[in-house]
Amino acid sequence: MNTIDATEHYETSAHDRPPSLLTIILDTNPHAWALLSPTLPLSTAIANILVFINAHLASNYANEVAVVSSHTSQATWLYPVEKSPNSNSNNPDPDGDIPMPTQQPQPPSNTTTTTTNINKYRPFRIVEEQVSSHLHNLMTQTTPSTLQSTTSTMMAGALTLALSHINRRTLAWNEAHGGDIDTSNPNDPSSTTSTSTSSSNTKGTAESTLQSRILILSVSSSTGSAHQYIPIMNAIFACQRLHIPIDVCKVSGDAVFLQQASDATKGVYMALDEPKGLLQYLMMAFLPDQRSRRHLVLPTRVDVDFRAACFCHRRVVDVGFVCSICLSIFCEPLGDGVCLTCGTRLDVSDYGAKPAVVARKKKKKKVKGNGVSAAGTPTPTPTPGP
Amino acid sequence: MVESDEEYTGEISEDEDESNILSGSRGDTAGTSRSKRRKHRGGAEWEVSRTWETLVEGADGTISSTVEGLLEAGKRKRLLRDTTPLQRGIIRHLILIIDLSQSMTEKDLRPTRYLLSLRYAQEFVREFFEQNPISQLGVLGLKDGLAVRVSDMSGNPTEHISAIQSLRDQDPKGLPSLQNGFEMARGALFHTPSHGTREIFVIFGSLLSSDPGDIHQTITTLINDKIRVGIVGLAAQVAICREICGKTNGGDDTTYGVALNEQHFRDLVMSVTTPPATYSQKQSTSSLLMMGFPSRTVEAYPSLCACHSKPSRGGYLCSRCNSKVCGLPAECPSCGLTLILSTHLARSYHHLFPLMNWVEVSWQHASRSSVCFACGISFPPVPPKEQWHISEGQAKGMSVSSRYECTVCKNHFCIDCDLFAHEVVHNCPGCQSKVIIPTSSEPSQNHEALDRMDTSA
Repeated sequence: MNTIDATEHYETSAHDRPPSLLTIILDTNPHAWALLSPTLPLSTAIANILVFINAHLASNYANEVAVVSSHTSQATWLYPVEKSPNSNSNNPDPDGDIPMPTQQPQPPSNTTTTTTNINKYRPFRIVEEQVSSHLHNLMTQTTPSTLQSTTSTMMAGALTLALSHINRRTLAWNEAHGGDIDTSNPNDPSSTTSTSTSSSNTKGTAESTLQSRILILSVSSSTGSAHQYIPIMNAIFACQRLHIPIDVCKVSGDAVFLQQASDATKGVYMALDEPKGLLQYLMMAFLPDQRSRRHLVLPTRVDVDFRAACFCHRRVVDVGFVCSICLSIFCEPLGDGVCLTCGTRLDVSDYGAKPAVVARKKKKKKVKGNGVSAAGTPTPTPTPGP
Repeated sequence: MVESDEEYTGEISEDEDESNILSGSRGDTAGTSRSKRRKHRGGAEWEVSRTWETLVEGADGTISSTVEGLLEAGKRKRLLRDTTPLQRGIIRHLILIIDLSQSMTEKDLRPTRYLLSLRYAQEFVREFFEQNPISQLGVLGLKDGLAVRVSDMSGNPTEHISAIQSLRDQDPKGLPSLQNGFEMARGALFHTPSHGTREIFVIFGSLLSSDPGDIHQTITTLINDKIRVGIVGLAAQVAICREICGKTNGGDDTTYGVALNEQHFRDLVMSVTTPPATYSQKQSTSSLLMMGFPSRTVEAYPSLCACHSKPSRGGYLCSRCNSKVCGLPAECPSCGLTLILSTHLARSYHHLFPLMNWVEVSWQHASRSSVCFACGISFPPVPPKEQWHISEGQAKGMSVSSRYECTVCKNHFCIDCDLFAHEVVHNCPGCQSKVIIPTSSEPSQNHEALDRMDTSA
């Protein structure tokens, strides 16, 4: 009797609450954080985020977390970094000692807090150690010369990395939990063979697989990310297809494309009025997972900026010229009339030509006016005469 | 029961042959599963396409390597198709009419015609908006001699999909009326702007149409309104359907097809998602269109929208004249600027800038990486040099070291990430996440590559 009870209980609990995977994209653009430092220094922000991560991990024993850093020149993993342990377990090197490479870079932070860390809940400690050590590495690698070249952040790369990780974890979770692999492959709902039912699959993905979401902590402003417009849009559509909400916590500046991201994927967008209260914002607005959000009134932003970036000068525009063949956006009519993307010869007939038409009319009027005056006044008459 | 089934399929087969001849090349896609059916009811042997002959036993006596090769080939084919340049950006207005009458309960298409049609209709909606990002779609149903509105004209695929999904709980009943369906569809289409197409696509499972009036009058009005009709039949060819398709498409009745089996049905439905041919001719006089990308606003008090003069709080402000429209895409009623969402345009960009195919990595170069760059899964370790030749050439198209390399950023990825990057994200995780600093080994070349990647990934 007991055994039956136990199994039933276990099954239902395993079935009812699939864990959620939270992927945090941390914008570590030093330019923007330097501006923010009087109100919210990066170290405080990291501490707040770690508390938030712990809260997420604590809410379900199987919850997972991943942290990607979107830096000025690169996008890298802060947690989990599988490079060192995996390479060691694979390569049967006699000196491949697992903890060595991970602990080497972090003696400064580690030695001071070892005593307190011993009693810390292990998942919390691992995340904290890895995130802080890798962030430390990242910051030490960043030299002033690399910062001078660019002020933007690699948001597209970070999003792509996050999505790849989510894809991997979803596949792994489905394999481990016997969820059918068809559901885990919403990659190509259109192109899978007709045998796999896609309609029931969409339901299945929503209910019984790993619930993933992405939280972007953004500090850089939009001008920097205009040149990544297409990759960012691609990532947004991928999220939309996979039902992954993108939550955006905008600490400073304003990013046009991230508003569209959260709007398209039904995520939460918040621009913080008081960056000091970051932790409170995180805990209140971003902690609930998709399942809980159905019962909550979410702080969504109603005004959404839908502007696009043009392909020619990477300007953010609200009125643009669109090639009717390839849908490329240009900020001004093309000089030679050849689309820069697809090379099609374009008539600037419809809208672009409107001013020209008006000008012609004026000319005609002038001609007409001349004609009329030619009939009335004596002066022009001699000119056509000879 | 078995007998009746037998009889039914027998009845179908005549039509099958007929439509096979009529539809010409379209029929050959159905080869494999048709052969199964033919075999099942003891059909003539020369009609069977010999699918098993493509299977060759591997060295170890199994066919797994061949099967893997075939799967890989299929994936490759799909990826290659993606890289062909496509002409997109056509504004289509399409009404999808689904037969919800009692004839849809037939089980000749598994599980039933009804459920299969609904499933394909959902796939159709999804694919339609993938292919035609700035188009509008509406869904109607034919039931009990009436036309039922399933979902209104809109550009939001999720609305349509959930509306179609809710049909699953209902049962098909009554007789269909094509005329009623067409009249209702015409009502939804005739006010649409003339620069877009007006199309009706019907999934029709019945062999009859019980109409209240003269359907030929409806056909004439459809022609007058320049509405084109495409029909997919599930049972047999119906004369009036062919007539409708022919008349509304200017004599070309190839838009009428009868499904031979599940796969053929799907192919017929999906072929409608590609924009119609005449439109691409019109596009050849291509032009640069001025478009506005308005932002959404919500006001404290309702105000009238410029397009329908209805009070609403939310809306989009025209980026040129600031008049409010309630839905997108639309043409600004006051200044005539085409207003669309930039996300509608951006949806097709991966067709323009396809991600380049990644190449297989041989064991010589495999030692450079031990884990997938994107997802961190560990690759199989590099074996000693003597074993390299054993695994090589095992399966065509598969990388021996299970690593795939992006030719631009030289990072290695696993097969799952390869598929994911090429089919879903259309970004290369490696190229996107690194700016190559000019101080690196080959600065000029890398920089150039990166500048290109900005748009191309």
